[in-house]
Amino acid sequence: MMEKRKRYYVNGAGIISPQLTFDDNSFLESVQEYNTNALTCITPDFKAYINPIQLRRLNRMLRIGLSAATICIQNSRLQKIDGVIVGTGYGFLIDTAKFLEEVLSQNEKHVAPTHFMQSTYNSLAGLVALSIKCMGYNNTHVSKGFAFESALQDAMMQVNEDDALNFIVGAFDESDPVQYVINSRKHHFKKESISSLALFESETVGTIQGEGAAFFSLSAKPTESSLCRLIDLRMIFKPESETELKDSLDQLLLENGISISDVDIIISGASGDVMNDKLITSFCNSLNSIAQLRFKHLCGEYCTASSFAFWLASSILKKQTIPESVKKNDFETPSVIQRVLIVNQYMGRNYTMILLESLVA
Amino acid sequence: MSKRIFITGFGIITSIGKNAFESLDSLLKERSGFGSLDILQTAHHHTIPACEIKLEDNDLHALAGVQPHMGFTRAASLGIIAAKEAIASANLSKKEIQNSALISATSAGGIRELEKYYYQLKDNTQKGAFEEFVDTGNPGEHTERMAEYFGVKKQIGTISTACSSSANAIMLGAQLIKNNRVDRAICGGAEALSKFTINGFNALMILDPQHCRPFDASRKGLNLGEGAAYIVLESEEAMLESKREPLAELLGYANANDAFHVTASSPEGMGAYEAMRGALASGKVDPDQVGYINAHGTATENNDLSEGLAMQKLFGKNMPMFSSTKPYTGHTLAAAGSVEAAFCLMSMKESFIFPNLNFKIAMDELNIRPEVTLQAKKNLKYVLSNSFGFGGNTSSLLFGSV
Amino acid sequence: MQTKEELVTELKALIIKQLNLEEVAPESFDENTPLFGEGLGLDSIDALELVVLLDKNYGIKIQDPKAARKVFENVRTMVEYIQENKK
Repeated sequence: MMEKRKRYYVNGAGIISPQLTFDDNSFLESVQEYNTNALTCITPDFKAYINPIQLRRLNRMLRIGLSAATICIQNSRLQKIDGVIVGTGYGFLIDTAKFLEEVLSQNEKHVAPTHFMQSTYNSLAGLVALSIKCMGYNNTHVSKGFAFESALQDAMMQVNEDDALNFIVGAFDESDPVQYVINSRKHHFKKESISSLALFESETVGTIQGEGAAFFSLSAKPTESSLCRLIDLRMIFKPESETELKDSLDQLLLENGISISDVDIIISGASGDVMNDKLITSFCNSLNSIAQLRFKHLCGEYCTASSFAFWLASSILKKQTIPESVKKNDFETPSVIQRVLIVNQYMGRNYTMILLESLVA
Repeated sequence: MSKRIFITGFGIITSIGKNAFESLDSLLKERSGFGSLDILQTAHHHTIPACEIKLEDNDLHALAGVQPHMGFTRAASLGIIAAKEAIASANLSKKEIQNSALISATSAGGIRELEKYYYQLKDNTQKGAFEEFVDTGNPGEHTERMAEYFGVKKQIGTISTACSSSANAIMLGAQLIKNNRVDRAICGGAEALSKFTINGFNALMILDPQHCRPFDASRKGLNLGEGAAYIVLESEEAMLESKREPLAELLGYANANDAFHVTASSPEGMGAYEAMRGALASGKVDPDQVGYINAHGTATENNDLSEGLAMQKLFGKNMPMFSSTKPYTGHTLAAAGSVEAAFCLMSMKESFIFPNLNFKIAMDELNIRPEVTLQAKKNLKYVLSNSFGFGGNTSSLLFGSV
Repeated sequence: MQTKEELVTELKALIIKQLNLEEVAPESFDENTPLFGEGLGLDSIDALELVVLLDKNYGIKIQDPKAARKVFENVRTMVEYIQENKK
């Protein structure tokens, strides 16, 4: 009987972002400020994770993605990985642009294959599988603001089918200057330059551009390196009202035997866009107006930014501390943080909810 | 015992037909969509042939019933046309559509439009009608457009795993139903030709300047194609409740990764073998029970060899009839999985095996041969469809007659 | 008219640029170092890049990727091919 699993274990994480997150030496104690409306990753020495011969063959985001996946796999200390699933909104924008410009500017002559190959959406999932020789289930989701959640849900369903399986689930997106210009036509990004740390004080339309790659391991069983448990998630396309979000959340809680009072912290995917933030802010305030965190001032906005929030939530649940830099209001950290609910939105169209709990809940 | 998944409708548009009826007619008459690139503006139009749908973008938009100047890409309109037929053939109600999952797939998405207006879009001093295409290059965008068009609300998603994309979309739909996320899923893929894709494949030197010859010793590569296809999946319970008749059952499926090289398949086709073996195992069907395989058969040196060896290894003496239908439609990339799933449904329903066109010289490395003539074949009970792509993504779908 | 040595130097620089081998010093390989397998360790995508390199810089078109492997054995074989076929 295909029963829904009650809980999934997050047994490790690896993340490279515009903050110093690729190692565990600090937890957002000091944060990086950006003033150009475009946040870019703080990267490690890739040679620590990727051999030099392979390295030269890889574009920047493939290096970042493969490194994050490698860090996750190392942290998870798993004997065997049975599948790799990745989500991305826009894929490899820089290589897409490079190849496109080569084709157009050279009138389709003397076109070289590398940027074409490296612009394909599934090349990171393929690369990770290749690097660990994983011949199992392999998928790439490109569902815009649902991409990370689609990948997570896919992994949950695979684990439901066979609870002995360990999956690596990740997401990535690039901060690209051409994308910035093009999507500014749709008011995605702010016209005026702001400090990233003042994102939520801004009262204008548009947000700031971000990027990152984050990987997590998901299994039915805990290990000694487990961070937390994933309970469930929801994706809501173009909700028409706060009621629709509320109904979705109520269903999520009911199906998993949880009430809203069991949730200690809300992480809000408010993006500093005065229009797009209206609904999510009102909704999050209705759940818990005090114990709220925000994160897009640290990583920027991108289709798979909820993966940064996922890392934030799982770290909080493991460490039982909350970095000051993410608190929306001043509040005392609860003595025990049992459950975190992430409520995210992308450009006012893709709303998602992810519910996580600590190992001792 | 997991839920049974049935197929209650499908729709398709490719260079061999705007719908299922036209497609079947072409398949039976051995009429391919192969020809020169006339609609797409490209420097290669004399040298690179393809299986292009001979309709201008605006004609496709009209066929899809979308308003002009609303930024619908060719891929999105192809998707709408095929999904519309699928929904109509299953006779889904508005409410059923709203509560279905829509899982689509693409590899190029709206690149065709992005490349047309790229320099204008990039130049923030320029304004104009081209701005309707601002965000349409994104691969997930066409699915959102389709969801808005049809009123799908419950769950949407887009997959991009190169040539196995829409096979994976079908698998995902089945899994969502089995996991009680939805009762129904509309799954498939849409792909439009573009300079980006043509030049990319040309740079990889895997295109045949002639009509492709899958499994032929002299094969030189693939022909690109375009199109879209969607199938409607329902749980047994939902289907019985709605009193629908199934067309076939989705008995099994498997997704594996070759983990060999970024573009090449392992010489022995390990990923292909695993995908086929897994699909049969998940459907509890033995190799000797399979009646027909719609092979991936792109006619590249690499694919046909590794797929051929994998099939030989799995089926041994009990090799079923097999053919690649890619000489008909070209390689429709992300849409190939669902296009060929539709052909499998037609095979089973009409009791025909569609031939592997252009095959003349057998490969030395294989002792199996594809079917070269159209054949009546009653009682096709189990049919396997293969889709193998870049990044090592290999997927197989197993269908059962009802 | 370029000398063979000049062509070797030029070709090595082009290869490093086209194949993203920025970390490889031109002095670290010579005209006889195997390009594929042992030696520089190039792969099949690199071979395609070299096809483009020959076309773009020397006007030489290679139609068959398999025939290309003989030409691309090392820098010396490439130089010889260019000298025979340059337009």
